[in-house]
Amino acid sequence: MAVIHDVIPAFELFQPMTVDDALVLQSRYGAKAWVLAGGLDSFDWFKDRIKRPEVVIDLSQIKELRGVRTVSDGIEIGAMTTLTEVVRHPMIREKYGILPKAAELAASPQIRNQGTLGGNVSQDARCWYYRGGWPCYRAGGNICYADTPSGLNREHAILDADRCVAVNPSDTAPALIALDAKMVVRTPRGEKVVNAEDYFIGPGIDITRMTILQPGDLLTAIRIPSTWAGAKFYFEKVRDRNVWDFALVNVASAMVASGNTIERIRLVVNGVAAHPVRLTAVEAAVAGKPRNEETAELAAELAVRGAKPLQHNGYKVPLMRNLVKRAIRGVVGEEAA
Amino acid sequence: MTTKPTTANYKLIGKNYTTPEIVAKVTGKAKYAEDFRADGMLFCKLALSPMPHARVRSIDMRAALAMPGVKAILTMDELPAPADSITDNGTVILANPKGFRALTMEPLFQGQPILAVAAVDELTAADAIEKIKIDLEPLPFVVDPLASLRPGGPNARLDGNVWVRVPPPPSQAGRPAAVTPPELQTLKWTREDFEDAKQGRLPMGKPTEQWSVGDVDAGLKNAALVLDETFVTPNTSHQCMETRTAMAYWQNGKVFVHTGTQSTSQTVPAIARWLGIDPSNVVFISEYTGGGFGSKITGDITLVIPALLSKKTGAPVMMRISREEEHYIGRGRPSLLGRMKVGFSKEGRITALDMYVVCDNGPYDMVGDSFSAGRIVSVLYQPQAMRWRSVTVLTNTPPRTSQSSPGGMQGIAIMEPVLAKAARKLGLDQVAVRRINAPEGKAPFGPLVAGKQAYATSAFIKEALDRGAEQFKWNERKLLTGKRNGSKVRGVGVAISTYSGGTTGFDGLFVIKPDGKIYIQSGVGNLGTESWTDVHRVVAELLGVPWEKCEIAWGNTAKNLPWTCPSGGSQTTHAMTRAAHAVTMDARKKLQEIAAKDLGGKPEDYEVANERVFRKGGGAGMTLARAAQRAVQLGGVYDGHELPKDINKFTVVSATALSGQGLLAVARDTYPHDGNTFSFVASFAEVEVDVETGQYHILDYLAYADVGTVLHPKALGGQILGRSILGIGHTLGQKWVYDQHYGLPVAKRFYHTKPPTILDIPDKMAWGAVEIPDPETPIGARGVGEPPVGGGCAAILNALSDALGDEIFRRAPVTSDVILAALEAGRPVQDPLRSNI
Amino acid sequence: MNLIEWAQSPWGQQVPVHIGWSLLWVSAIGGLLFLIGHAIYVAYWAKPAHAHSNASAAAASGVAAQVPERVARHSLGARLFHLIMAISMFALLLTAFLPKVGVRFPWVTYHWIAGIVLTISIVYHIIHAIFWLDFWSIWPDEEDREDAVRRFRRALGQSAPAPRKFAKYPLENKLYHTIVMLAGLAVVVTGVFMMKRVQTPFFIRNPYLFGDMTWGWMYVLHGLAGIGFVGLVTVHVYFAIRPEKLFITKSMIFGWITREQYLEHHDPQRWPVSEEASEAGPSKSTKVPA
Repeated sequence: MAVIHDVIPAFELFQPMTVDDALVLQSRYGAKAWVLAGGLDSFDWFKDRIKRPEVVIDLSQIKELRGVRTVSDGIEIGAMTTLTEVVRHPMIREKYGILPKAAELAASPQIRNQGTLGGNVSQDARCWYYRGGWPCYRAGGNICYADTPSGLNREHAILDADRCVAVNPSDTAPALIALDAKMVVRTPRGEKVVNAEDYFIGPGIDITRMTILQPGDLLTAIRIPSTWAGAKFYFEKVRDRNVWDFALVNVASAMVASGNTIERIRLVVNGVAAHPVRLTAVEAAVAGKPRNEETAELAAELAVRGAKPLQHNGYKVPLMRNLVKRAIRGVVGEEAA
Repeated sequence: MTTKPTTANYKLIGKNYTTPEIVAKVTGKAKYAEDFRADGMLFCKLALSPMPHARVRSIDMRAALAMPGVKAILTMDELPAPADSITDNGTVILANPKGFRALTMEPLFQGQPILAVAAVDELTAADAIEKIKIDLEPLPFVVDPLASLRPGGPNARLDGNVWVRVPPPPSQAGRPAAVTPPELQTLKWTREDFEDAKQGRLPMGKPTEQWSVGDVDAGLKNAALVLDETFVTPNTSHQCMETRTAMAYWQNGKVFVHTGTQSTSQTVPAIARWLGIDPSNVVFISEYTGGGFGSKITGDITLVIPALLSKKTGAPVMMRISREEEHYIGRGRPSLLGRMKVGFSKEGRITALDMYVVCDNGPYDMVGDSFSAGRIVSVLYQPQAMRWRSVTVLTNTPPRTSQSSPGGMQGIAIMEPVLAKAARKLGLDQVAVRRINAPEGKAPFGPLVAGKQAYATSAFIKEALDRGAEQFKWNERKLLTGKRNGSKVRGVGVAISTYSGGTTGFDGLFVIKPDGKIYIQSGVGNLGTESWTDVHRVVAELLGVPWEKCEIAWGNTAKNLPWTCPSGGSQTTHAMTRAAHAVTMDARKKLQEIAAKDLGGKPEDYEVANERVFRKGGGAGMTLARAAQRAVQLGGVYDGHELPKDINKFTVVSATALSGQGLLAVARDTYPHDGNTFSFVASFAEVEVDVETGQYHILDYLAYADVGTVLHPKALGGQILGRSILGIGHTLGQKWVYDQHYGLPVAKRFYHTKPPTILDIPDKMAWGAVEIPDPETPIGARGVGEPPVGGGCAAILNALSDALGDEIFRRAPVTSDVILAALEAGRPVQDPLRSNI
Repeated sequence: MNLIEWAQSPWGQQVPVHIGWSLLWVSAIGGLLFLIGHAIYVAYWAKPAHAHSNASAAAASGVAAQVPERVARHSLGARLFHLIMAISMFALLLTAFLPKVGVRFPWVTYHWIAGIVLTISIVYHIIHAIFWLDFWSIWPDEEDREDAVRRFRRALGQSAPAPRKFAKYPLENKLYHTIVMLAGLAVVVTGVFMMKRVQTPFFIRNPYLFGDMTWGWMYVLHGLAGIGFVGLVTVHVYFAIRPEKLFITKSMIFGWITREQYLEHHDPQRWPVSEEASEAGPSKSTKVPA
């Protein structure tokens, strides 16, 4: 049968008004259903006719999924809140400045107007073989095309690869992990709240998914506790173009320091593995140490331990090292981060 | 941005104005091909080859044809055979039977269209394609030119892997000369040839083409410094914002075609040739085009698909081309793998230049990029002796065609880093090294033809360098070289650049009607450069008519347009200001004659100005409106009932249709022209590189141009800076990425192929123009579309090596990973010779 | 339900990628149905066990005196092999199929490590069996075929000569070994090649060792043999714990069977043992196969 990567095939569209209705639809249609948030990831798949759901459940009409609420300990951001809303929200900017910074570096203004926070953290891998419709592991096949002697893997993983070497492309995910955010997930068995870092999974666990979400599950909100409110944040994204590009590597950190001593820190890197990588060993190693070049060097070396570069992504090792260094000590020559 | 005041005494030329179509463009009212709808219109979709090279064994389309709403399927058998074309001077260009056709049964690259389905809507057409069984037999393929040249390497086509130009057959009496298509041959280099590749140097096996001027060996021997450098430029798609969407329908035996084009009039014979019909049966509509950059010089051959489907179904057919399809059929610039052995005197003068280029041609028609690269390097750096050798290798990748400064950009990108390195080695100023080698006046270039080199009409690049260096404050900024601020390091770069800037011999046509207005017919394509209207400012200027009284007909060949140059090779400004000058002189002569007839005296006693023709020194006269009335009454040559013999037959048809409406002015440009027209640009850039991330930022960019007389400053600035950005994109990140195992592209979308965005362009950009009129053309204006491209690319390359040293990159683009990996390793890490990584 | 999952290769060709994983349930349920059927059959319809021919019974009584109290059945090496093989097989099955039924963990490394253990143990077993054991004792022979026909006819109530007692291995055991051998070779050979497809310390990963189609069928074969083992292992475990077969299971642990068991189930002519040999423990002369 001839292949065509154009024109979205017909599907049945549901636009539920409430989360409960969405969940009913999800359980009714199971794996046949596709949950649509902002559509920036989905429409690509649909138009290429690679993912062909029979049913699409569009969340855009569900008001309860939008907006930012203050809760007892911090804030809760509805999963369907757009990245632009996150970027512009005064209170998020004031207390959790790393999140709007990360969100603002995602994609382009047009995409941020449409793209949602829930969608951004739950987005699929951008490996060009996978997105091109090649039948790789992630697509349910039995091969990784990117990690072959002639594979093109400049943008692929240096850590935690398991057959598949795709990376997680999200910018907001590492920022949320740095903030110790919790993901609120509705499942057919009720609501569960998971730590942001546990929301993401590697190919070893499930090679066809980036998150713990199973058919029938729905990410409804993201809670950010006040634990790290007003901490010293650092976010940097290295990419080929200054807008509308995924990160080659990005880094997010939240640090509480007393004087020049690092009291506690959360440090996360993305673009190096299929999930954002929280550097707990580094966090432990630098806690209690002075915030200086020496500590930054220590952190940087520790961060890339165990990294296994492929033919074309060796640069990610020094890049990750340098970004971790900067997250600790800031960018030399610029105002302290 | 600076707006240069013009020094000449023109009222309109050199002044900014609002172009007639700009409001429609910025308000979205402008209709591009895709915006048209016709009654009963069908849509078509293409089935593309999934393999890099295959033979179609059979096609089973029964299930698709049985679907409701599916109207017709078109395959290669239904295409007219490739036809010869004839140039204006009668030269026959013989069709290449191995050239690219709209559909094929032996696809030579992934994405090549095999068939097209017309249906009531796109969903039906796409669903129908999925029901078609195309049985394909995979055939050998190669996506890397060097891999094809290796002993035992695969060939992109069953009958060869290199194009070789063959001399035309001897022209026989009574028959015009012919241009024969190149020949496919098989060329393999030896294992010894490939020894150089191990050191990252381009192997230089047997070439298929070469020329040389002067004693290269002696020049290298006597040089104070000899550099031997390999540099590779990327394959890049044209990536026009408007894909090559086309819509067509037939009425009363005529085909009406809507599609984007760079050239309105010239697209008519192309459509006629592709469809095997007479040009008089073609009506071509293209008021707006979303970019061409050389890929739509006369539209695109794939427009025959909706045209033939329309004929087959008896209904209008729209073919919308997706971004992915555009990647396949939208053409690209070929990668050139270059190696330069260059000798320098201690003053930096190039004593000898030995250039070798391998061109990644793609599978179809031979591109001239490697030849052009040699020509451009020759004219731009004026080596005292030069040898050029080349091989044009076929690969199973999308077909290439000219892209803004074809070959020129690559030649400059390969040469400029050599010059920058030489200046550093010799301890010379970068501007000075370029200045000492830059052309001047009737600068010679290229191979010897009948014992002589060709030469430029003029060259004022030295002036551009001087003025640019001053405006850029080069002497102050060069002290920044390698200056560190934390992890940031700065560098400055300069590059010179050139490309062809004009042709001659086309027609102008307008009518002065009894309402006193000038109705100018423009056959120039509206490809975004504004040349389609700019060139006609000459008419108003020379006739002394306010621009507001000029109406331009454009973008639809039913509106009786004159024979016009193709808008490619940056020729329009030069060619069509000449035609505009010639036709204005024709109008002036006719006005003078009418005045003399009515008011007495000799024609030369009258002059034309302020919308009047009147006796010199005051006295009797008449308005242009009155003269137009008189022209209609007089008939004959005055209102177009008699036409000059030397105008193109295309213009004859249009002028005839317009005759009797007023004073009809029509003329061909027959002005003398000594030399080849080039425009020049000196580009300056400052970059800041973060050595911890490899990212860099272009802080400032200046392009100073030698384009002769400035016609329209805003449009000129747009071209100089816009095309600089096109070149800069080749340094920043634009490229193709091919999986060599399957021979398939993995980068097909903008976010993969990475054309620069508005946030990637330099923080500050400025342009200037030396404004010295070209002595070989009446208005003195030359084209500028292509000349800035190489300069944009190379100025950034040079600024990067100024900041980081010579051991970072050996190919473009230079992305953060390349920089970081090289800094980490202390040497260039990226494989310079493997294609499309 | 798809027997085979197909995908479109990068060149748009249909290639198999693996078996339909629902086949796992077919194999598991098939195995269970077999053992339920067998258990019911044994409980209600099967003829009493002592149906062997009188001739062989007489012969047995004649040789009884020469039979040692403990008849060596499996050498220590054979038992260790069987144990290691069993552990690796369980590890392989669990790492392969638990993720398929929703228990998710990074299984690939454990799977190929277990695969290597299995491969090495099988290689050991083949060499051991060829050079040290009675190689042919495990292969069905002409007498097995005749007896099978006899048993079958008797089961149908037709008259047929009484089947003989078994040689060292009952026919079922031999058939089982044959099937396991075929499935085992299939998983091992395909599995060894598949290691070239994943990251291991042994090879430079090269998924392009074979073409898409060859690989596809290899994955299908690996998968079929793999799910086959689910049924086979189910059946094996079932027989291992069946009361009348427990003595065999024990022998796989302790290495010997009792004289009574020997005389009851085996035909000394087809599996001769001597006191001397038995007391000396398993040796070449007794040709103890695994």
